[in-house]
Amino acid sequence: MAPAGLGPAARALSRYLSRYRARYALGIACLLTATASSLAIPWTVQRAIEALEADTVGAAIGRYVGLVLLLAATNGIARLGSRFSIMGGAQRIEHDLRNDLYAALQRFPPAEIARRTTGDLMTRATSDAGAVRSLVGFGAISFIGTIAAFVGALTAMVSVDPWLTLWAMAPYPILIVIAKRANARIHAETDAAQHQLGVLSSTVQEHLAGMSVVRAYTMEEHAARVFDAANGEYLGRSLRLARTMAAFVPLTGVITGVGALIVLWLGGREVIAGRLSLGALVAFNGYLAYLAWPTLALGWTLALLRRGLTSMARVQEIIDGAPPREATTDGETAPGSATAPRIGFQNLTFAYDDRGPALRDVTFEIRPGETVAVVGPTGSGKSTLGALLARLWEPPPGAVLLDGRDVRTLPLRALRGTMGYVPQEAFLFSRSVSDNVSLEREALDAARVRDAAVASGVAEEIEGFPRGWQTVVGERGLTLSGGQRQRVALARALAGNPSLIVLDDVFASVDAAKEDEILRQLRPRLAGRTVLLMTHRLHAAQAADRIVVLVDGRVVQQGTHDELLRADGAYAQLWRIQQLEEEIAGA
Amino acid sequence: MRDVEHDEILGRAFDRRLVGRLTRIARPHHRLIAAAGVLFPLIAAFELVQPFLVKIAIDDHILRADWAGLTGVAALFLAALAVLAILRAVESYLMNLTGQRVMHDLRATIFRHLLRLDAAFYDRYAVGRLMTRVLNDVEAVNEAFTSGLFAVIGDIVTLVAVVGAMLWLDWRLALVTFSLVPVLAAVAAWFRVRARDAYREVRRRLARVNAFLQESIQGMAVIQLFAREAHEHRAFRRLNADYRRMLFRSTIWEASLYASVEALGSAALAVLLWYGARQIAAEALTFGTLVAFIQYTTRFFLPIRDLGAKYTVMQAAMASAERIFELLDVVPAVQAPPATSRPAPTSAAAVEFSSVWFAYEDERWVLRDCRFAVQRGEHVAIVGATGEGKTTCARLLNRFYDVARGRVLIEGMDVREWDLAALRRHVGIIFQDTVLFTGSVESNLQLGLDGRVTRPDLDRAIDAAHCRRLVETLPRGLGEELLERGANLSHGQRQLLAIARALVYNPAVLVLDEATSSVDPESEALIRRALARLVEGRTTITIAHRLSTVQSADRILVLHRGRVHEEGRHADLLRAGGLYARLWEISARTQQG
Repeated sequence: MAPAGLGPAARALSRYLSRYRARYALGIACLLTATASSLAIPWTVQRAIEALEADTVGAAIGRYVGLVLLLAATNGIARLGSRFSIMGGAQRIEHDLRNDLYAALQRFPPAEIARRTTGDLMTRATSDAGAVRSLVGFGAISFIGTIAAFVGALTAMVSVDPWLTLWAMAPYPILIVIAKRANARIHAETDAAQHQLGVLSSTVQEHLAGMSVVRAYTMEEHAARVFDAANGEYLGRSLRLARTMAAFVPLTGVITGVGALIVLWLGGREVIAGRLSLGALVAFNGYLAYLAWPTLALGWTLALLRRGLTSMARVQEIIDGAPPREATTDGETAPGSATAPRIGFQNLTFAYDDRGPALRDVTFEIRPGETVAVVGPTGSGKSTLGALLARLWEPPPGAVLLDGRDVRTLPLRALRGTMGYVPQEAFLFSRSVSDNVSLEREALDAARVRDAAVASGVAEEIEGFPRGWQTVVGERGLTLSGGQRQRVALARALAGNPSLIVLDDVFASVDAAKEDEILRQLRPRLAGRTVLLMTHRLHAAQAADRIVVLVDGRVVQQGTHDELLRADGAYAQLWRIQQLEEEIAGA
Repeated sequence: MRDVEHDEILGRAFDRRLVGRLTRIARPHHRLIAAAGVLFPLIAAFELVQPFLVKIAIDDHILRADWAGLTGVAALFLAALAVLAILRAVESYLMNLTGQRVMHDLRATIFRHLLRLDAAFYDRYAVGRLMTRVLNDVEAVNEAFTSGLFAVIGDIVTLVAVVGAMLWLDWRLALVTFSLVPVLAAVAAWFRVRARDAYREVRRRLARVNAFLQESIQGMAVIQLFAREAHEHRAFRRLNADYRRMLFRSTIWEASLYASVEALGSAALAVLLWYGARQIAAEALTFGTLVAFIQYTTRFFLPIRDLGAKYTVMQAAMASAERIFELLDVVPAVQAPPATSRPAPTSAAAVEFSSVWFAYEDERWVLRDCRFAVQRGEHVAIVGATGEGKTTCARLLNRFYDVARGRVLIEGMDVREWDLAALRRHVGIIFQDTVLFTGSVESNLQLGLDGRVTRPDLDRAIDAAHCRRLVETLPRGLGEELLERGANLSHGQRQLLAIARALVYNPAVLVLDEATSSVDPESEALIRRALARLVEGRTTITIAHRLSTVQSADRILVLHRGRVHEEGRHADLLRAGGLYARLWEISARTQQG
């Protein structure tokens, strides 16, 4: 049943299933009990009618009535038991799968996550995990139930009358042949309709996204015509599918009906001939009716199983694709090095997967306690330096050093525990401002959070909010300005009291005056720490101990602000441009 | 994601106002609906025929040993099956036909409405959300028709018919069977309410899991940098476990509902058997009737059980309908005036900004008292630092937005008095990012004019835009099919096509929002020559993001703080040593790199 390529998914799934062996065993036992008690009801009715036939007045019908009630209760309880065990197991498997997926996501480098897009990952965590649940939940119940129903009902029918069973089942091969042909056609037509829905959807998407051109070139009529064509074609294909469904679906009803008809007609002859009791005939009809639903649902069940396995493969792709977990020491925060470290970049050349080198042969050093600014135009490779230092991307061996050790050989926890990294885009969680600064690190109490926010120059603004530190960031909470978000992110980094601070173009969204002010407040906090400051604003770099100028991934100049101005190279050129820009802004 | 969180999933199942509007949409298809209405009782009747024939077969033929008569009944049975199948096929097709046609119309209505909405609307709504309206919500409304309303009507008709048949066959036995109905209804309602509440809670918790997950994915760098993996994973596990617990609760109610209905069905059978046996003993009941009753009972219980599920479908559909109508009720902020007039031939400027104030939101003015005029045939370039409102000027010219104060005049007439289509035929814009559409190159060149452009005109435009070589290199020439957004062309090729498109469009006033991203030098040279041809003798406003191209303009306007700060020819402005001179120096130095 599993198509080629889904074998590994099936194996992975069986590992999850085996965790809940006991639940599934109980569930299957309940399912079998439920099927047996369901089938025992027609059997009891048969006995009751036979008793009536034999002796209409003296028949002890109460016994049979009691038995039917007992069987009904057993059936209800067993069915509940099977649902609870198997659906509960399926929900646990979905839960475990989603947890494992989340753990795997945490091991991916952020850039890899960005490449895969949030939407795709969300789909795997939600609808794919849901499809797996359907497979091991409803799919399993339905599949096992169908087998049990066929085995049970056929056994019961054969025990009543083997020949009649053969006749009653005669339409089923026809049903299977028709169902196969119908399914193939329905499948093809569904695909065709779905494909056209995709066309329709991209037509809408394209015109909505390009609405400015649509309006400017007065092509509304044209757009409406293009849409109508796609919409009309979709209608046509949907109706073709509807016609096929209309033709085939009632046909399956006819075929199961013919089974009942044959039983009535040939079975009736048997009763007339005295070879079969009326009760047996009625019971026989009951068994046959019991088969109708599983038969009709068979195609649906198989589709559910197939879809579930495909989804399992998609989830497993992420879980298996994650980099292995690094062996870490226990404890919440691994203590970083307490003293300011020395940072070295040694002939560092680095390229992202499929593009040209972002950094070429970069060599420079940051001495303990020194502040080095890396400047350069957008796209010169500044951010890449920081990402490699924090190992958000894996650097080449021996090229990025911390206190003389290759960062690749340091435990991630220790490396990142040493540094306070403020990325270019300040990402805040939809939690309270206080939690956003502390990230709920155990060692950080309210005083330290506040202290860090004061140093970042954002404490006063936060305390001015109606809910103060408990203000929830996000859509329904307060919207923070870009500058405020940046400073909260800065406070977050400072709060951990790191000995190495990496600032990646942090002040892009505040004006020059505000930037100067923040830097002034920050300076005492940075004393005694190693600082790597990446910026495209030269003002911010001016006070650094040393400035490294990066152009197209190469170090073109190094020195203090004054030295570089005198050298009249790339730095002096950038400086002049920024001065002109300031003049314009001030005009 | 946003939709999961913000759009209420279940609303009221029946909202008179919404149903009224839906009915109006379905009105053109009233014949189909009426036909379906006739079919429902017919189908219900034929469904009842089978158990009745079984009764006849048993009582009149099997128990009387009448084999020939039994064969006759069997033939009738077969005929009934066939008729029922045909009726069902017709009904299924009719229902789909109606549903699909209504959806088709609704999609078209929404799309046409979206075409009328203004730029400010599109600033507020993400394309993804609008897509949801056109596709998913329409689908949900269809569910309301087929799985909801039609199915409920079908079920009710069936119920009435079954009740009628049972009463007619044997009213006492029928009443005995019905004795369980109040129990069934109460049990179903009790479990259904709980299942629905649990389900609502499941959706809420799932939304929480999803929101957390989405945020984690987007903020993974922060989580990793601060080594918060274990902590976040614990938080996620809590939410995930919370969701699973609630899901299990909803399973409990749902499963209990099904199990209890099934058990009640069996109980009804027991009651029938007990009472029936006594009646048979008293010769007040036949075997056949008892068997027929057993079969009727199942047909009677299922619709009652499923009524609740259909209620939920209706609720979801109503929420979708509400969202659709909310969208359809948005009034376009920019509309053509009721009575359109054409500008009288005047000596007025081709374009004039008269004390224009404009803000995208509230009072954050982008243009403040902006004034300038462009004479017929003049080429004016607008320059200024980023965010000074250069592109905004272009958007006001063809009424993507309306001014807050002041007036924009074209040929001496306020743009708000122009017929909207005429205005946009008069003022053509070439945008920074070139948008091409799926379709042939030719249809992309003709855009809104399709069919009205002669082949020689098209050829002339292609030559003037230096597109001839480009078109010839395409395997199918002008008939070449472009992928979405012209993905199978290079950046430079797309720009050349956009220029050719503007030449075909041939507007009296051309606004050129210069592309900021650069292309390879060869394309650059081609584009520049093509643009020169386009501008020749035409009233042109160039929004210049790079200064290297503005020297040829008749006049340069320097926009600063929302108004024209300096104006003049390139050389004069340079000499003046003001803002323009500084911008020019930045541009020169940036190019040196």
